[in-house]
Amino acid sequence: MASIVLYHFPPSAPCRFALMTARMLGLNVNIKLVNLLKKEQYEPEFLKINPQHSVPTITDDGFHLWESHAISTYLVGKYGRESGLYPLDLKLRASVDQQLYFDAVVLFQRIRALCVPFIYGTASSVPDDVKKGVVDAIDILDTSLSNKTWLVGDKITLADIANVATLCNAEVVGYDLSKHRNVADWFDRCKTTIKGFDENLKGVAEFGALVRANHPAPLFP
Amino acid sequence: MPVDFYMMPGSAPCRGVALTAKALGVPLVEHQTDLMKGEHMTPAYLKMNPQHTIPTINDNGFSLWESRAIQQYLADKYGKNDDLYPKDAAKRAVVHQRLYFDMGTLYLRFGEIYYPMMFGGAPKDAEKVKKFDEALGFLDGFLSESKWAAGDKLTIADHSLVASISTADAVGHDLSKFPNIVRWYADCKKTMVGYEEANAAGAKGFGDWFNSVVKA
Repeated sequence: MASIVLYHFPPSAPCRFALMTARMLGLNVNIKLVNLLKKEQYEPEFLKINPQHSVPTITDDGFHLWESHAISTYLVGKYGRESGLYPLDLKLRASVDQQLYFDAVVLFQRIRALCVPFIYGTASSVPDDVKKGVVDAIDILDTSLSNKTWLVGDKITLADIANVATLCNAEVVGYDLSKHRNVADWFDRCKTTIKGFDENLKGVAEFGALVRANHPAPLFP
Repeated sequence: MPVDFYMMPGSAPCRGVALTAKALGVPLVEHQTDLMKGEHMTPAYLKMNPQHTIPTINDNGFSLWESRAIQQYLADKYGKNDDLYPKDAAKRAVVHQRLYFDMGTLYLRFGEIYYPMMFGGAPKDAEKVKKFDEALGFLDGFLSESKWAAGDKLTIADHSLVASISTADAVGHDLSKFPNIVRWYADCKKTMVGYEEANAAGAKGFGDWFNSVVKA
C-alpha cells in the first residue's frame, strides 16, 4: 500500500486526531508539516490540494480530503472497517457521529475560542464567559461518560480519539480534569489504549508553549 | 414506523433534517420544542437528550441528536439506494467533509454575525461579515466543480447546506457575489422534495423574527 500523505501541524488537535486514527489502524503515513503560524497553508501548492487551506488534509492515491472527522471516518471505512473504531452497527455508528459533531462544534470550538487569541497575541485577559463555556462542555462530556468505559458502546471508537485529542489542549493550559471524575478516568484509559498517544502529547506540549508564550500563567487556576 | 422529531421550524439544523426525511419519504412526527419557554429542559426531555439540544429524534426508543448525525442515520437506515449518502468510501468522505464544513465553518460564521445582532443588540461586525463571505467563497468554489455540493448527485450535504444558505438569504445577506451558490440554490428549491414545507417556510419565519428584533 502506498503511503498516505498527512499535512500536519502538531499543535492542532484535529491534526492529532487524524494522526492517532492512522496509528490505531497501523497505516503508513508520510507526514508533511504545514506551519500555520508561518502561513504555510497559503502556499500555492497547498491551495491546489485544499482551497480551504485547512489542516489536517490528506492525499490518498490522488484523493484529497480535509476536515479531521471526515478523514478519520474515511480511513476507517477504507482501511479498517472491522476495527470497531467506526462501528458497522447503524445505531452505534450514529452515536459515534453524534459525539464527533459534539467534538467539532462544542468542545473544540470552545477551547479554541479560549486559547487561540493568546496564540496570536490578540488577548490579554481570560473572559469568564468563555472559560465557563469550556467548563460546561467538559461537564457535558462527563455526563456522556457516566457509568461508561468509552463514549459509545463498550469499545474505544473515533468518538473517544477525537474528544481526547481536543481535551488535551484544555489540560495543557491548566484545566484540572480531576474535577470531572468520569472524564479523568476516561482520559487515563485513552492514554494507555490509543496508539500514538505519546506522539500526540508532543504536539499538545507545543500547543501549551504557544499559549504560554503570550500568557505565562495557566488559563485555569 | 414514524420517527419522533423534536424541533423548532426556525432552526436551520432542524430544517436540514426535515429535508432529508422528505427526500427519504420517512414520516416525522413533529414535536415543536420552544427553547424560549424552556421546553428542552423538562425532565422527560433531559432523559432523552441530556445535552438538551434540538433537533433530536426518537426512532422507536433510540434517541439521537446533532442534526447531521441524524441525517446520516436516516439516510443509511431508510435510503432505498445510496444516492443521498453514498457508500463508496471516497464519495462518502466528500459528503462528510461538506457536512463538517457547513457546521464548523459556514453556519458557525453565519451565527457569529447574526446571533449577537438578534440576541445581544450588537451592530453588524464587518470583520465577521468578511469571514462569512470567505466561507461562502469556499462553497462557491466547491459548486464551481460540480452540480451539487458533493458531486453530481444531490446528497444530504445539500440539505444541510441549503438550510444554512436559505437562512442567510432570509436575513438579507448578499449572496449575489457567489454565482455558483445562486445557481445551486435555485436548483435546490426546484429539485428538493417538500422544499417549501420542510425548509422555505421555516427560513422565512426566521427572517421575519430577525427583522422584527433587529430593525425594531
